[in-house]
Amino acid sequence: MSFEVLRDVAKPIIAGFGITARRLASEKVTIQYPEERREQFVRTRWRHVLTRYDSGLERCIGCSLCAGACPARCIYVQAAENTNEDRRSPGERYAERYEINMLRCIFCGYCQEACPTGAIVLRKDFELANYEREDFIYTKEMLLEPIRR
Amino acid sequence: MAAVVSTDTVKVTINGVEIEVPKGELIVESVKRLGLEIPIFCYHPRMKPVGMCRMCLVEVGFKQPDGSVRMMPKPQAGCTLPASDNMVVLTDTEAIHRDRKGVLEFLLINHPLDCPICDRGGECPLQNNTLSYGPSTSRFIEMKRHAHKAFPLSQYVTLDLERCIQCGRCVRFTEEISGDSQLAFRFRGASMQPATYQLTDFESKFSGNVIEICPVGALTNAKYRFRARPWDLETKPGICTVTPCGTNVWFDYRAGKFIRLNGRTNEEVNEEWTADRTKFGHDFYNSPNRLKAPNLRTETGFKGAGWSDVYAEILAHFEGKGSEVGVITEANLSNEDLFMLQKLFRKGFASQNIDHRLSGGWQSFEERLENKLGLNTVQTTIAELENVPASLVFATSLADEQPMTFLRLRKGWFQNGTKVISATSHPTEVDQFAHVILRYKPGTEARLAAGLAHASGAALEGLEKFNPEATEQATGVPANLIREAGEILREAGARILTTHSLLTTSEGSVACEILAGLAHKAGHKFSCLGLKANTAGAKELGLLPDTLPGGIKNSNPGKDTRQMLEDAARGKLKALWLVNCDPLTDFPDRDLAEKALENVEFLVVQHHQAIEACEYASVVLPMTLPAEQDGTFTSSERRVQRMAPVLSAPGEAKASWRIFAELLLRIQPSTPPFGPKDVMEEISREVPTFAGVNYGALDGPGVLIAQPELGEPNLNSLGGTLSKV
Repeated sequence: MSFEVLRDVAKPIIAGFGITARRLASEKVTIQYPEERREQFVRTRWRHVLTRYDSGLERCIGCSLCAGACPARCIYVQAAENTNEDRRSPGERYAERYEINMLRCIFCGYCQEACPTGAIVLRKDFELANYEREDFIYTKEMLLEPIRR
Repeated sequence: MAAVVSTDTVKVTINGVEIEVPKGELIVESVKRLGLEIPIFCYHPRMKPVGMCRMCLVEVGFKQPDGSVRMMPKPQAGCTLPASDNMVVLTDTEAIHRDRKGVLEFLLINHPLDCPICDRGGECPLQNNTLSYGPSTSRFIEMKRHAHKAFPLSQYVTLDLERCIQCGRCVRFTEEISGDSQLAFRFRGASMQPATYQLTDFESKFSGNVIEICPVGALTNAKYRFRARPWDLETKPGICTVTPCGTNVWFDYRAGKFIRLNGRTNEEVNEEWTADRTKFGHDFYNSPNRLKAPNLRTETGFKGAGWSDVYAEILAHFEGKGSEVGVITEANLSNEDLFMLQKLFRKGFASQNIDHRLSGGWQSFEERLENKLGLNTVQTTIAELENVPASLVFATSLADEQPMTFLRLRKGWFQNGTKVISATSHPTEVDQFAHVILRYKPGTEARLAAGLAHASGAALEGLEKFNPEATEQATGVPANLIREAGEILREAGARILTTHSLLTTSEGSVACEILAGLAHKAGHKFSCLGLKANTAGAKELGLLPDTLPGGIKNSNPGKDTRQMLEDAARGKLKALWLVNCDPLTDFPDRDLAEKALENVEFLVVQHHQAIEACEYASVVLPMTLPAEQDGTFTSSERRVQRMAPVLSAPGEAKASWRIFAELLLRIQPSTPPFGPKDVMEEISREVPTFAGVNYGALDGPGVLIAQPELGEPNLNSLGGTLSKV
C-alpha cells in the first residue's frame, strides 16, 4: 500500500467516520416516518376540513366566499336551502356540493380567512398522495368532519 | 331622464369645476357628467325622485353677485335638487363624508348582516356603498328588527323584510313603470314594509324587474334562490327569444349551465326592463328532456344513429318528391335557420309546402295588407311610442303579447300624456290607463274598426252604415264612447297597434284592413305585430307557401299548415318535417293534427327537447337553442339583433342552419356557408329589405330593416270589403 492510497482513501474514510462517531452522542434529528411522526407547527396549513358545531350541524352555509377568495379557483360550491325536516346547518342555506381540487390547491389558506363561519379550516393532514387524478377532487363527504359523539 | 323639462342650460359649479347642464336636471345626474359619483339607493334614473334614503346628500350654495359663495346651512339630497344658475355643489367634503357614514349607520341598524347567504351579496349596492362610504365597524349592540325571512311574494319573487331599507324603488316601479300598482308600503317608521295591498300574491307581468332594482337583497329571485353567487357566474349579452320584442338580456351561466337572465340596456327596445315571460321563461335550456343525438325509428323502436345515416334516410324520402313533402316550422328560429330551411325546400326538394304559421291567421299572398292595399303591416317602432299624441290598442292583450311595446306605451301616457284607447273584448292591463275603453263582443272586430273609422271621420268609402248607433248595436260598445274615441283619432299622428292574434279571429283580417286604411287616411301609423321572436323575419324570408324571400309572389304556391295537415291526414302528403314545433299542442285542431301525424308516411321531428310529436316520428333530429348557436332575430318592430353563442350545445345537437346546409350540400354540391355570417351575407344579397344588414353592423341597438317598396297605396278594394261586413 502506497502512501498515496493511505492519504487519499483511508484517511478521509477515517475522518468521515470520526464525525459520525462524534455525532452519535448528540440528539437525533431524523425520525422514522411513517412509524414516527413529528409534531407540526401550530399554523401548518394542509388538508382542508369542513367543521361542525358542537350540536352536529355543519358550519358551512354554502356562501361560496371561499371559492371567490381562492386564487387557484379550485373550490366549487353549490348551495341549497335548509328545510325544517332536513336541516344541515343553522339558517337558510347549506352547501349541497362542496368540492376542492387538491391538485390545483396551493394551500394558501385564503378560503379559511374568507369563511364567515369558520367552517373550512386547513389542518395538519399532509399525506395527500393518490393514484388517480379524479381521486384528488375532494367531495363534501370527504371534507366534512365526522359527528363527534 | 326624469325631470328634464327644458333645453335651456344653466351653469353649475361641481367641486370647483364649472359645467353647463340642462336647466332643472337633477344634481345627481349632473355630477355624472364630470365622471363623479354620488352614492344612491332610492334614486333611479327612470323613475321620479323621492329622496327617501338620504344617501345622496351634497353641500349646496349659490354664488352671490359680489363673487362670494353662500352655502346652505344643511346638506341637500342631490336626487331631488334641480340644477339652477350659479349653483355651487360640493360632493367630497369632510362634512359630506360624515353625513354618508351617518346615513349608512342608520340604514345598517336594522339591516341583518347575513350577506354570506343573501342572493344579492356580491352585487349589492348597500354592500358597495358601505364599503366605499360607510363606517368600518358598528356601534350598535342592541337587538335588530326581526321579521319574516323568505316570504314568497309570488312564484317568482321572494321577500325578506329584514333586509328592506325602505327605499321605495319596488313600490314606485309598480306605480310608475309597470302600472299594476301591486306593491305599497304598510305601516310607518321602523316597521314600514313593502307588501301587496291585501297581502295577496304579487301578480304582475313585470315583477322580475323589482328584483333587479332592489338595492339590497329584500326582493330576490325565487328561481335563482341559492343557485349561485355573482362571482361564480359568467355572463354574455343576448336577446330574449321567447317574446317578440327582442328584449336585450344578459345570460348568466355557471360551468356551462344557464342560471338566470337579467335585463340589458337598449334604449331603443326595452330600456332596461324585462317581462316575466323573458326573465323566467328560459328554463328550457336546462330541461331534462333535451334531445342529444339523432334517432331513427326501427321495428323495435328508436335507435340512436349517426348524422350521416339520418341524412341518407331523410334524403331517400324527401329528395325528388316535389310537392309531396312539406315543412312546418315555428317562427322562433334565427333568420339564418329560416333562410336555409326555405332554401333547402325550394332549391333542394323543389317543394313549396313551407309555412311558419301554426296557430291560425293563414292569410294568402293576396289577402295581406302589403299586396291588397299597398300598406305596410309594421309601421311603428317601440321607442317612438313614447312621444305620440294618441294610441289605439286593438284586440290584443299588449302586456302579454308585446310586453316591451306595452311598457313604452305606458311610459308615453305617464310622462307625455299619450291618450290611449283600449279596444279589447276582455279586460287588459291597458285599461288601467286608457282614456277610453271600448269593450266589444268577441267576433265583432271589423264592425268596431269600421265604427271607429266612421267616428274619426276618415275618408273611406262604404263607411256610411257604421255610424256610432249602428256600431253600438253590432258590437255592444256604447255610442258615446265610440264618438269619444273617434274624436281622439281625428288628430293625426296616432299609433294603432294590434297583433297577429287579431288575424286568427273571424273578422280579424278585415278589421286589420280597415284600421290600416284609417291610419293611412288620417295620418296615423298602423302596426300588426307578430307574436314570436322571429315572425317578422319568417315573413320577410319567405317561410310562406305563396311568398318567396323579399315578399315576391310565388307563381307556383304550395300548401299552408292546415292544408298540409289535411293532406297528411288523407295520406296525400308523403313526408312532413316539423321544425321546432308541435302541432299536437299548438295547432288549434288537435284531432286533425293527430290524424296527420299518424297517417303521414315519413315524419321528421326536429326539436330541442322530446315533445309529444316525437312519438309519431320516423326521424328525430336534435337542434340547438338560440343561445347555443350564432344567429340573428328580427323582432316584431323589424329590428335585427344578434344572438351570439353563450352556451355549448348538448351532445350531438346541431344548429338548424347547419342541418339544412349539410342536406343541401348532399343534393347540390356547392360551397356551403361556413357560418351564419355567410348565410346573412347571402340574405342581404337576395332579400332587398335586409340589404346592408351584416354582423359588423349589429353591435349596439341592432338594425331596423327597410320597409318593402310597395308603390302607391290603393284603398279601392276596401269599399267592397266594408260592404260585405
